[in-house]
Amino acid sequence: MPEPIDVVEALLFASDTPVEAERIAEVLDLESAAVAREIVEGLRSRLDGESRALQVMEVGGGFRLVTRPDVAPWLVKLARSRTRSRLSRPALETLAIIGYRQPVSRPEVDAVRGVNSEAVLDNLLERRMIRIAGRKESPGRPFLYETTREFLVAFGLRDLGDLPKVEGELIVPELAEAAAAQLADPGPDQEEVTAAPDSSEQDPGPGGDRVSPSS
Amino acid sequence: MSGQETTAQGTSAQSQAADTGITVRVESFVGPLDLLLHLCRTNEMDLSRLSLRTITDQYLAHLEAVRFQDLETAGSFMVMAATLIYLKSKLLLPANPDEPEEALDEEGELLKRELEERLREYARVKALGAWLSERESEQSLVYGRTTAELPPPEDIPLEDLSVHLLQRAMQRLIEDQKRRTPRQVEPNPLSVLERMGEITDLLRSTWSLLFSSVAGAERLRAEWVVTLLALLELVRLGQARARQAELFGEIVIERHSVSVREPIREVDFAEEAPETEAPRDATAEEESPRPAPDETASPQAAMDAPPETTPTDDEARTEEGEPRNA
Repeated sequence: MPEPIDVVEALLFASDTPVEAERIAEVLDLESAAVAREIVEGLRSRLDGESRALQVMEVGGGFRLVTRPDVAPWLVKLARSRTRSRLSRPALETLAIIGYRQPVSRPEVDAVRGVNSEAVLDNLLERRMIRIAGRKESPGRPFLYETTREFLVAFGLRDLGDLPKVEGELIVPELAEAAAAQLADPGPDQEEVTAAPDSSEQDPGPGGDRVSPSS
Repeated sequence: MSGQETTAQGTSAQSQAADTGITVRVESFVGPLDLLLHLCRTNEMDLSRLSLRTITDQYLAHLEAVRFQDLETAGSFMVMAATLIYLKSKLLLPANPDEPEEALDEEGELLKRELEERLREYARVKALGAWLSERESEQSLVYGRTTAELPPPEDIPLEDLSVHLLQRAMQRLIEDQKRRTPRQVEPNPLSVLERMGEITDLLRSTWSLLFSSVAGAERLRAEWVVTLLALLELVRLGQARARQAELFGEIVIERHSVSVREPIREVDFAEEAPETEAPRDATAEEESPRPAPDETASPQAAMDAPPETTPTDDEARTEEGEPRNA
């Protein structure tokens, strides 16, 4: 008879989407989501303690079993593809606007970016980072966009509350520093060089369009 | 290499640019606000106290270096340029000369403040985009399942579905369908010159032809018109003769013994015309004799002209339901 912790491990292993604590409780006939959460935490410390190649990650309102960053180089080798496809800078900026202002219409996004965002929005829809939430009751009844669970998973966010807080008059360099500081502690970084907040030169280049094994 | 180090590199590169007073890299700016923000940073300018003079001049100078993705993006850069020039023009004509430098009238001040606000807003968005980019690259090192081998649930969760996805799927289907249906291939448009060549080719092996056999039995209007024009032109050039025994009757095309062998492809109408004077008389029943006003005219004019002077034939075709002006 397997222990609940083993069953939870199996659930996370087999599922393609983050498994919510509520769902775990339902499957295991537990009395509450809090108990399920405890079991997950037990699994987390077990995996960490045995320094296994897998870890439990809380994203998009649920739990996932994923590999640790330090085994990434071998997975890349296995996939025979150097990079996963990355979002372009316009796409990331558009996603940021939607993330904070959702639901938001295209004219509003355009106004903030100062350029037409139609193609970018189409791309994000295609990648399922955003979805249409309805229509705005304003002239032209434009579509309203909101972020999806895939968005949270792709960026490793538990929920929208994980997005950095932005104050009204915040000036950029400070935020960039804060973001960098926040990023410094979680997880070791590989040799992945990413867009520095100011340099803006690391748009996904030619290699960025490669299809990743997981996309 | 950590994200922090990259950030440091980015800023140091930028301060270098500011030191030397020139922008080293030709960056691809994603929009006018992006460019404006870049200029403010290189000038170490406070986003709530824009110096319009500096920024306008630099913006315009940079505009030439910007690679536009499309016309619409280019347009938005131009709109910003116009706004900046407008504001600068207001500076050059101060409403109140006693006021300090860079004083604007009420409208200009409002416009400037709006611009500053948009710039700050965009700066935040840009920083957030960079933050997301960091997260993305961090997540790119972590691999989890994206497809499960579990059998799909009996009731499909509809939470992540929207009408838009349905529309998209439908559109794709329609486009696929379109791609699969064979394309209608249009036959080459008929050419009088080609038809003339065909007739002379046929006349090489036979003495006479029936008009209907050349024009085709389908009686396509365009075919008949083109064939008739070709025939008339050959007659005019003396390369064929045509005979119509009775009104509306069959036209018989005959080889003109002398000039069949002459090449017709590169006919110079102006030169050929005098020689054709004589044969033309012989075929007067087809084509009434006329002066040669169009002998120097273009080939096209020459081809268009004959039907106008052949009333008999006109009638015939009209009766056959083949109006001349087709």
